[in-house]
Formats: sequence, structure tokens, C-alpha cells
Amino acid sequence: MKGKHWLVKLLIWCSMLITLTTAISISQTQNVQAAANDNSLAAIKKKGTIVMGTSPDYPPYEFLVNNKPVGMDIAIGKQIAKDLGVKLVVKQMDFDALLVGLETHKIDMVLSAMSPTPERKQSVDFSEPYYFSGQSIIINKADKEIYKNYKSFYNKKVGAQTGSLQYDLVKKQIKGAKLTGLTKVTDLIIALKTHKIDGLVAESAVATAYVKNNPDLVVINGGFDLTDTGDGTAIAFAKNSTSLVTAVNKTITKIKQQKLTTKYLADAGKSLKVNVADTSMWSYRSYFIKGIGYTLLISLVGVVLGVLLGTLLALCRLGSIAPLKWLATGYVEFIRGTPLMIQVMFLYFGLNIPALTAGMVGVAMNSGAYVAEYIRGGIDSVAKGQTEAARSLGLSSKDTLRYVIMPQALKIIWPSLGNEFISLIKESSIVSVIGVTDIIYQLRLVQAATYKGIAPYAVAMVIYFVLVFGLTRLLNFAERKMQHA
Amino acid sequence: MPSMIQTVGLKKSFGDTEVIKGIDAQVEKGQVIVVIGPSGGGKSTFLRMLNMLEQPTAGSVFFEGEDITHLPTNKLDTVREKMGMVFQSFNLFPNMNVLANVTLAPQRVKKTGAAAANEQGQQLLEQVGLADKADAFPASLSGGQQQRVAIARALAMDPDVMLFDEPTSALDPEMVGEVLKVMQALAKAGMTMVVVTHEMGFARQVADQVWFMDGGVLAEKGTPEQIFDHPKNERTKSFLAKVLVQ
Ligand SMILES: Nc1ncnc2c1ncn2[C@@H]1O[C@H](COP(=O)(O)OP(=O)(O)OP(=O)(O)O)[C@@H](O)[C@H]1O
Ligand SMILES: [Mg+2]
Repeated sequence: MKGKHWLVKLLIWCSMLITLTTAISISQTQNVQAAANDNSLAAIKKKGTIVMGTSPDYPPYEFLVNNKPVGMDIAIGKQIAKDLGVKLVVKQMDFDALLVGLETHKIDMVLSAMSPTPERKQSVDFSEPYYFSGQSIIINKADKEIYKNYKSFYNKKVGAQTGSLQYDLVKKQIKGAKLTGLTKVTDLIIALKTHKIDGLVAESAVATAYVKNNPDLVVINGGFDLTDTGDGTAIAFAKNSTSLVTAVNKTITKIKQQKLTTKYLADAGKSLKVNVADTSMWSYRSYFIKGIGYTLLISLVGVVLGVLLGTLLALCRLGSIAPLKWLATGYVEFIRGTPLMIQVMFLYFGLNIPALTAGMVGVAMNSGAYVAEYIRGGIDSVAKGQTEAARSLGLSSKDTLRYVIMPQALKIIWPSLGNEFISLIKESSIVSVIGVTDIIYQLRLVQAATYKGIAPYAVAMVIYFVLVFGLTRLLNFAERKMQHA
Repeated sequence: MPSMIQTVGLKKSFGDTEVIKGIDAQVEKGQVIVVIGPSGGGKSTFLRMLNMLEQPTAGSVFFEGEDITHLPTNKLDTVREKMGMVFQSFNLFPNMNVLANVTLAPQRVKKTGAAAANEQGQQLLEQVGLADKADAFPASLSGGQQQRVAIARALAMDPDVMLFDEPTSALDPEMVGEVLKVMQALAKAGMTMVVVTHEMGFARQVADQVWFMDGGVLAEKGTPEQIFDHPKNERTKSFLAKVLVQ
């Protein structure tokens, strides 16, 4: 099943920890209430909707066709909603963010090809598994004669998703294997095709889907010993949702009895054909255009709010009111001392605001701290004599700043602000972790939809380059104009 | 009537070094005081304490009878309007043109209307001989022109006293004259002035009193004749011997 990169995981848990320790948040009180009295099912029915979190980059379980999530998990979600008599809402998130989404009640359930590992069971409740899929190995067609099952890979180079079930299987059962772990299956496929690895262990349903769309690859049965692994995929719920889990289990039993998963997978296969009918990047341009729009939006809002915030912070730091000074200094140091990724996650999960808002606010707050330093530097670099001349005329410190110092400082820091905007275009790619549909997020979707690994990277790279290069030129031009003014 | 400026036991230390070691002095209305002395003697520090650009470590400064040593900043701003200051390095605002340099403070501080401020600004520029430079930016002016604009800028606040800190030291020799001429006219018109300078000719011609400052104290005070022709203090003598030889 899908993996979790340890670093991302650490970040999520850190942000969770901060959330829990700092904000005595509503969600926490809700947790306490839930423990005392499980009203999870009643709450859903009262609300009339059930929100399903999923990461639609994992065909045939979940993927996008024409920008709409489809696949087996979506079909199951619909069935569950129907049986509960409520409406289904599908919320797209990065896989790594799903469990935190549950705990902060942003989503009601996770249907994202997730396996109920003992580790995950500690923090969330799981339904009965709804699907069992064997473990297969994808290899290059040319190597068909060499590899028969997992034993043929002793001392070979094997790939698997980092932190996944398959990752553990390779470690435990393929003797002497040189294991390559990557977070995305699409990246592992690239590694396989370019012979960086000899085989790729993946769940059978996924392996089959990929091989169908890659004529140079074949899939072989792994033949692993699966007796004591947490095989199967299940639905995750927030802890203490017994009544909801029980209700959902009824739907799962029905799905299993009627063998509905076979139908769901067949439907998913058909949907996939829509996607792979034309896998040219040009036909996915709308994905990239959407990504560009969001990347630019976030960077622009980030830099504009960042400049406002940064100015305020710089003034507080240069001012004479001690508490404001400490506060601003503390803020700048704290923001600069923590990664943007965790700040964005903290805002999104900790403060319960929508992903796009969290992304923009996070980027702006981060940028504000850096801009504050540019502005402070700019103000410091205006000759001391300017302030003295202004003050000797009787101008107040406010007027001195506004009419004399800031106009000169801005001219000095203008290039840095331009650079900040440009670097935000690149750095804002972090927001894809909370599901903001920026260029990186859209790139993942295109990879999942087309089974092409490298081409979307190339397109994204060209897009970033054109954006950054174009803007750099534009800013240089504006800067020259300003110098002449 | 109180003195225009009076200092009592004025002292200033930077860290452990005391650079002004107790100065008691008065500047009367209409007087032109020229302060001379060797480099590092504390002339600038003393002058800058008169309008509190430098906070004294001890002692007091009285301006028109009011102790301004510990005024809150907003009250201090009102005092500073009446004490124009001209710096060695001009310190014109490079982000605005000449006229805007002159009219900024009247508009912001005195709330003079734009039209009135511009008219007054033009008049002052005429007075310093730069009426045609109103639209120019400071960077395009010569040092002498910049310093004359700086004088006009200070005069725009209609000050009671003008403080000059070596106004001609940064100028090419051929430009010194034009600035001194403006200052001379100002003195003649009755402006109270405290001028730190190395221009001994100006001191002799224009000063009512010459103060010789060395080692953080006013070593000798007197009329130009007393100081230049009959100095009593040994340090004054050796200083004058050095500068007048050139
Ligand atoms: N901000 C400061 N910090 C530390 N020391 C200072 C500061 N300003 C002046 N001083 C010191 O105080 C002493 C007096 O300086 P000041 O500038 O007042 O002398 P001056 O008579 O104006 O000299 P000059 O003719 O060179 O302008 C000098 O030794 C100088 O180094
Ligand atoms: Mg000096």
C-alpha cells in the first residue's frame, strides 16, 4: 500500500504535537467528548454528508479523469454514503496528510488504499478490510526470463514505496536486496525503466494497472509469505468512532458478498482508458494551467501580504517599544528557524482553515519574516544623516520614516523583494502537501493519470523556468526604469 | 530676557571616554558664535547636544529659557523646528527634488498649505541664489549648491537659531565662498548662529564671539580680536599657529 516518507511523517507529528500542546483546541474537546460518548454515526447523519479524504494519484484505487476523482475507493465511498443515507463529499489531500486530517476532523473517513498497519491502528480506527490484493513484482519485459518470483531478487536492486508494506516485505524476505525507497510509484517506474532497479514490488492491482499502460514492463507474482503482514486495504476513521465503523462494516460485508470490487475495478480500468487514450502532455495542459494559476496566486498573495507584514515587523524591530520589539524579533527568528512545510501544515491542521487559505497565509507569514529582514537592512542602509537632517527640522519619527527613509529604503530593497517573489514561486511548491493544486500537485496528478513519469517533470520544469526567467527579466527591466527615474 | 541658548555643566561620554567635560555657555539673541578647535575636541558633539541630536550624559541645555534636556519626543520636535541645523555632508533628501526638500517640513510640521509652502520655498531658493534649481534633484547639484539648498531647507522652518557644523569642510575650495556669502548675509540680517568652522577669515569677519574648544572644554572665549590677535591660552596659541600658517 501507499507509503509515508519518514520526514514528512515527522513533520506532521510535530505539527500535531504543537497543535495539541499549544492550542487547547476545539477538536481536542471534541475528542474528549467522543471518548465519553460515541456519537460519530449520529453526527454524520445529522450533518447529512460524509467527507471522504483521498489522494487521487493511485490508480486503480483513486485517480482523476477530467479533474474528477474516480476509482474503486470512490465507488466504495459512494456506496457507503448511500447506505448511510447521506451525501458523499470527496476531499483531495496528499496521502501523508490524510490521517492528520482525520484527527483534526477535516475529513470523516480515509479511503485511499490504506492498509491497517498496527502503527496506524494506534491513532485511528479501521473498518474491516474491503479488498485483498496480492503482492507482485514489476520488471522490464526484457528480463522476463531472469526473474520468476521474489527469490530471484536475492542480492539484486529492488524498489518499493518508502515505509510501505512492500518496503517491509523486501527488507524481511528478499535476502541481500539493495532496497531503493521512493515515495511515488511513478518515480519508481522511472527508476525501473532506466534500470536503476531490477524490480519493483507493488500491490497486484496497482502493478497490473501500470503494466497495462507500459508495454515494456511485465508483472510477475511475488510469491511472498503474507501470513503475518497487515495485508488488505481498509477505511480509516477518527478514534472512538465505533458506531460509524460498525455501520460502514455492514456496507463492506455487502460489497464482499456481492463481489462488487471486481465490478469497481473493471469500471476503474475503463476510466483509465479515457486517460491513457491520449497521454500527450498537451492534452493535459488544463492541469498545468490550473497549477500555474495557483502557484502564481500563492506567490503573489504571499509576497504582497509578506511585504505588509514584513514592514510592520521591521518597524516594530526598529522601534522603541520593547515588548513589540521582542515580539517581532521572536517572530522573525522563529519563522526563519522552522521549515515552511511544517508552518503550512500547522496552519492547515492546527487552525482548521481551508487549504488554499492556509497555503497563502503560511507562505505570507513565512515571506513576511524574510521581507522584514530585507526592510530592516534597507532602512539601516539609509545614511544616519538623513534621519538627523529630518529630525533637526522638527519632523516626527513617523514622518521621517514615511517621507525620507522608506522611499530610499524601498529603492534599495526593491531587487530583494523581486527575488523574494521569484523564490516564492519555487518554494511555494510545498503547499502541495496540504492539497493545494499548485504546479507540483498537478504534476503528480498528470503522472498518475498518464502513467508517464518523466514527461510531466520535464513540462513542470520548463514551466517553472519560463515563469522564473520571464519574471526575472521583467523585474530587471522595472529596476532599470526605477534607477533612471 | 533669557538667553537664546544656555548650557549648564554640560557633559557627554561615549562609553568610558568623556568627550565633553562640563561646558557652561550662553548664546544671546542675534549673536553669531564661531566655534573653533582641533579635530576631536568635541565641537560637533557639543553642537549636536544643543538640539538633542546627542543626548547629554549630565548637565542641561536651556532654549529660550526652557530646559529641553529631558523633553518627550513630541515636545522636542517643536523645539527643533526653531533650531535649524546645517551639516557638513549636506544631508539633502535624495528622493525628492530641491523644492520638495525645502517645503517638506513646513507642510508636515507647520501644516502650511502646498501653495504657500511652494511660494516660500521659491523665495528662499532665490535668497540662496538657486531659484532655477527648484525642480532639480540633489544628486545633480554641486556641493556648494547642495549646501545652499540645505540652508534654505533649514530656514524654511523660520528658526530662531541656526546651527552649522563645518558647513564648508566637504566642499571644493572654489565653492566655499558661495556658501560663506549666504551665511554672511544671514548674519547681517540678524540671525542667531552657532557655527563650527575652520574658516578663520569668516570667524574674524562675522563672529561676535569666538569659542576655542579643546579636550572637551571651552578653553577660551572672546571677541575675534581677543582670540586671534591676543590669545591668552597656550593651547589656543599653538592651534592658531598651526592653522594660520597655512
Ligand atoms: N558616536 C560616537 N561614539 C563614540 N565616540 C564618539 C562618537 N562621536 C564622537 N566621538 C568621539 O568624541 C570625540 C569628539 O568628537 P567630535 O566629533 O565632537 O569632535 P570635533 O571637534 O567635531 O572633531 P572634527 O573637527 O574632526 O569634526 C572624538 O574623540 C570622537 O572620536
Ligand atoms: Mg566635527
